[in-house]
Amino acid sequence: MEAERKSLALDLRIDTSPMPRLLRALTVITALAFAGTLALGLRVAGTDIQQGEIQRIFYIHMPSFFGAFTAFGLTVIGGVIYLARKNEAWDRIALAGVEVGLAFSLINLLTGSIWARPIWNTWWTWDPRLTSAAIMCLTYAAYLMLRAGIDDPGKRRAFMSVYGILAFVTVLITLFIIRIVPETIHPVIVGASPQNAQGGFEATSGVVIALLPSLLLWLTLLPITLIWHRVRLEARIEALNRLKLQALSE
Amino acid sequence: MMMKPAITIAALLCALLTIGLVSAQDDEAKTPYFQSRSFNAPILAGWENQSGEDFAQFHWAEASATIRTAIVPLDDISDAVGADLSEAFGIAVGQPIYRDKVNLADGTWSALVYDVDEATTASVMARLASAGTLVISFVEQDPAARIALLTMAQTDDALDDPTPEIAIAVESIAGRSLSELTRAESVLLPSGEWTVYAGEAMSAMGMVFGNDSYIALREGAPGDLAALADAWNRTLLGFFITPDNSQYLALGLAVVFVILGALVGSLFWRERGLRKDLALLEQLAGEDE
Repeated sequence: MEAERKSLALDLRIDTSPMPRLLRALTVITALAFAGTLALGLRVAGTDIQQGEIQRIFYIHMPSFFGAFTAFGLTVIGGVIYLARKNEAWDRIALAGVEVGLAFSLINLLTGSIWARPIWNTWWTWDPRLTSAAIMCLTYAAYLMLRAGIDDPGKRRAFMSVYGILAFVTVLITLFIIRIVPETIHPVIVGASPQNAQGGFEATSGVVIALLPSLLLWLTLLPITLIWHRVRLEARIEALNRLKLQALSE
Repeated sequence: MMMKPAITIAALLCALLTIGLVSAQDDEAKTPYFQSRSFNAPILAGWENQSGEDFAQFHWAEASATIRTAIVPLDDISDAVGADLSEAFGIAVGQPIYRDKVNLADGTWSALVYDVDEATTASVMARLASAGTLVISFVEQDPAARIALLTMAQTDDALDDPTPEIAIAVESIAGRSLSELTRAESVLLPSGEWTVYAGEAMSAMGMVFGNDSYIALREGAPGDLAALADAWNRTLLGFFITPDNSQYLALGLAVVFVILGALVGSLFWRERGLRKDLALLEQLAGEDE
């Protein structure tokens, strides 16, 4: 009888209930939308006559950066609200935003490098946009390492909230640097490219048809779904850790 | 509640991007290229477009001139040129009156000039391509004129003047001396600035691009040599084959799947670890009782 009560208490404190219906629906819709946007980019959009097939990577390269923008943006929102209210739920959102955003920015960085090899004839160049994107990735990788190194939960949450807010500067610099620094070879698709830009192409109707759905997916569905899953997991991990400490103290 | 700010921001960004992309969309600005499965050739404005599925062909009736681009599935350049001219124009070419090789940015080309009959001359640039031989030909069938268009490496690449190569072409193709012609004022055409020599029976033009001279000769009554030479050079310099880099696309997609797979996999892996730890805690709690 006592054992049953304990098990019940564990279950109450650690949410082992099935995925909420909305999250389940969101996961299915996201997976289908991901497959759909891939099909649009690989099958429906025409081949760029100058760049060849590699231009299709653009339908993931650019949206993945905006996906990272959403995720890191949620880290800022989570950090600000945590600092104001000290509600742990917002700290979980901030952490989840960093993990998902880092994965997206790695996709952005690596697909850009793979595109550059046949178009710029190099895997990497210390162009302002590429350099700022690499610094952004390293800044958020450092977030995860620092977070793992602070033992006190209260200090950890407060410190990482501040870090997450400040780190967003690297996202803004990466976003706007090609509008500010003229010595970039990175093309701008929306608006005028810098004079040195190499490998640009026109945002014609075929490009827009493949790009817009992909942008919408990476901006909204993909980061929100993944972050929601990660937040649920983190809530249970934290509860489990508390139980472990409790069990050890008993 | 938690997701509302994110959704609002995402919606605003989507709206801004949509407006930006749609306003940037400009189908009219697309480069006017004829696209086949194998190559892309500039469309010549003002010329009648006679292109088919696998070849680009433009005809100017007033000058009785045709510019054609095709990939012929033969590996011997002479055979490929002969086959293409025969199929497209019904002309049989013998030995060329001029033949030379020239290294351009995209490979080694053969420049050939044929004197087919009293009315017809053919100028051809050809090079080996992955699917056979790429043949870009200019055929004029005006009995009042004989036209030759050719490319040759500069004898002195420090010069920005094609005169030495014009002299070679005039002598080797027309058997004349450049001294018979008078240097006229240069003309600026879409393909570049052309040096012009004119005489009673002949005119010659040339432009330098890279380390090569592009030469146009016309024997007979003065005509539209400038327009023909410009169209030929725009075809020659504007032509390109879409690169095959699909292996890089495959690599890019593999990277995307590996990173997303690692992210989703880590969620599953941590979830599994969590359930195991929970089961262990429950087991320990039961044993304590």
